[in-house]
Amino acid sequence: MAHRYYFNNNGEPVTGLSVSGDELVSKGQAIMVDVPDGIESWRLSYNTATKAVVVLYEGLSEEDAVAKQLADSAAESEAEALAEKERQDALPK
Amino acid sequence: MSNLSTLLGGVAETVDPRKEGLPIFGLLATEATQNHHMTYRIFDSSFRNVGSPWAAVCNSTTNYRFGMLGDASHAYVSYDHGNNFHNNLTSESYSTYINYNHSTYQIDQYPHCFYYSSSRDGFVSWQNYHQMTSSFEYQVGWTKLNMVLPEGCRPRRMFCNRRFTMREMAGNCATGNIQAYDYSSHMLNTDNNYATGTGYNEKMKMLVMIHSGDEGGNTSKVIHIFRGKKDLNKVPRIKDFFDDLESTEYFTDTWTNQNVKDWVVVVGNNGWVGFGLKQSNSKRYGVFDCNVKGVGVSLTGASRQWSTWHDFSGSTTTSYGASSGNQYYTKFHTTWDGTWGMIFSPYYYYGCGINAFCMSLENPRKFVNINQTKSGRSNPWVPWGRTGFHGGWSDNCDSETWQTYAWCFDPTDSDHETTTQVSMGTTSGDSVIPDNNTINPQGGTYTNKTGVVSLSSCRTTLTGGYGSTNYPLLMGVDWWGNYGGQNSGYGGGATTPITA
Repeated sequence: MAHRYYFNNNGEPVTGLSVSGDELVSKGQAIMVDVPDGIESWRLSYNTATKAVVVLYEGLSEEDAVAKQLADSAAESEAEALAEKERQDALPK
Repeated sequence: MSNLSTLLGGVAETVDPRKEGLPIFGLLATEATQNHHMTYRIFDSSFRNVGSPWAAVCNSTTNYRFGMLGDASHAYVSYDHGNNFHNNLTSESYSTYINYNHSTYQIDQYPHCFYYSSSRDGFVSWQNYHQMTSSFEYQVGWTKLNMVLPEGCRPRRMFCNRRFTMREMAGNCATGNIQAYDYSSHMLNTDNNYATGTGYNEKMKMLVMIHSGDEGGNTSKVIHIFRGKKDLNKVPRIKDFFDDLESTEYFTDTWTNQNVKDWVVVVGNNGWVGFGLKQSNSKRYGVFDCNVKGVGVSLTGASRQWSTWHDFSGSTTTSYGASSGNQYYTKFHTTWDGTWGMIFSPYYYYGCGINAFCMSLENPRKFVNINQTKSGRSNPWVPWGRTGFHGGWSDNCDSETWQTYAWCFDPTDSDHETTTQVSMGTTSGDSVIPDNNTINPQGGTYTNKTGVVSLSSCRTTLTGGYGSTNYPLLMGVDWWGNYGGQNSGYGGGATTPITA
């Protein structure tokens, strides 16, 4: 199983390389954890509260995860536009 | 006419007319449709508003046009171009390039931006997207020279190098060459005939260029090192630089590269030269001694290379460079004071986060890895303050202060055998100015070559510019104002440079 290093104040991936990662660990800035193989790092993060690796869109392939992210982004934009329209419509005319 | 300095017996100093005050940037916010609300403001490096209300887009309620100085194209953008500034810029197809206002690729060390032009007063106009694919940056921006310039100066002349010809161009357009010169008669080795990366150091009058066997992935390299007696940025004709050379040397080597258009050439003030590029999802960086060695010696890369090629030490993931499109070539930035440089590209896809090498321009052997691992809500990166950069954040500012990722270096820190000091901020003032004597409490020291600086966000206390959902767009400004004349911060009001 692969391992990666995560920044320990926000859980973002910092490196997969031992030399660089160990330096940050020694300074107390990162932690090393095991991660599932075959998952791109943009989908991985570390929950510092639960002390667990989080896989975004778990169970999906990389291609499907990218498509899901695109769809989520579009849905978010649509929801924002709708909410904004409702907010504007509710303003006194 | 005498001024106070000369009356008192001082020596009148000449400030380089190119020299600007500390960096400023624009911040544009819109509601989702952009129909009824756009706000554009200009801030300096201390996040103070320095724009003009008459030039800015201020709280317009005019449908389809915003403000008395409204932009004809972009007011319609959400409908005419099917695009809006709220796009996440995560997995949008790269063919839909109109989405990339928030992209890391928008801005590099050159004053012009890829998609728009903004005055320091806050008047902004977008390029017309309809023929964007014929623009300079889209097609041949990768041919620009990487410039190492004096304090406060950005490149004001744009030289481009392709095949054996150097050309001077006007900006992000497809107008004709201002001038062109075939320098092949000055070369010592013409085995490879595609110029694929060129750097110039003004202090050293030193021009270093890579020639490859093609404009794809060819690994054969000939590197020429021209030392001039005249400054390339001051000669009327490119030919004048080449006709008055002090020395010409070259070496050959074989370098791994996914695409040769990604090469960035950083010519240091000590004659050492850093060569870096985006390589697949990662990056590579190597440093070579390009000081004069004498006729017929040191003709191989191995005889000049310091250490080894270094792969990026930070986190990497799916991301694209010039192999996916010329406009995604690896870019180069410098700090305002010209003491640190940055070879950079996105962490994710075509614009989010950052993977970068930051190197001392005094000594390119001193470098660290810079990383921000965002996969959405990006913003470009721009110089910040005297010796730093910031950017990379456009998350929703509804009920949130706008945050940026800012960091800076020590301008005198150039010893590659010591660690590198990096100062960063955070979300709490009390953590930046702590009740103890910790130097750089949010940053620290990083080992040369392998150290990874994971950037942290900083609160700016600025509003996003709109009262509901908004994702502020950080924008580059063409002219930061005359040094000492229009800047209220560093150098403001002074006619004497603070640094020598």
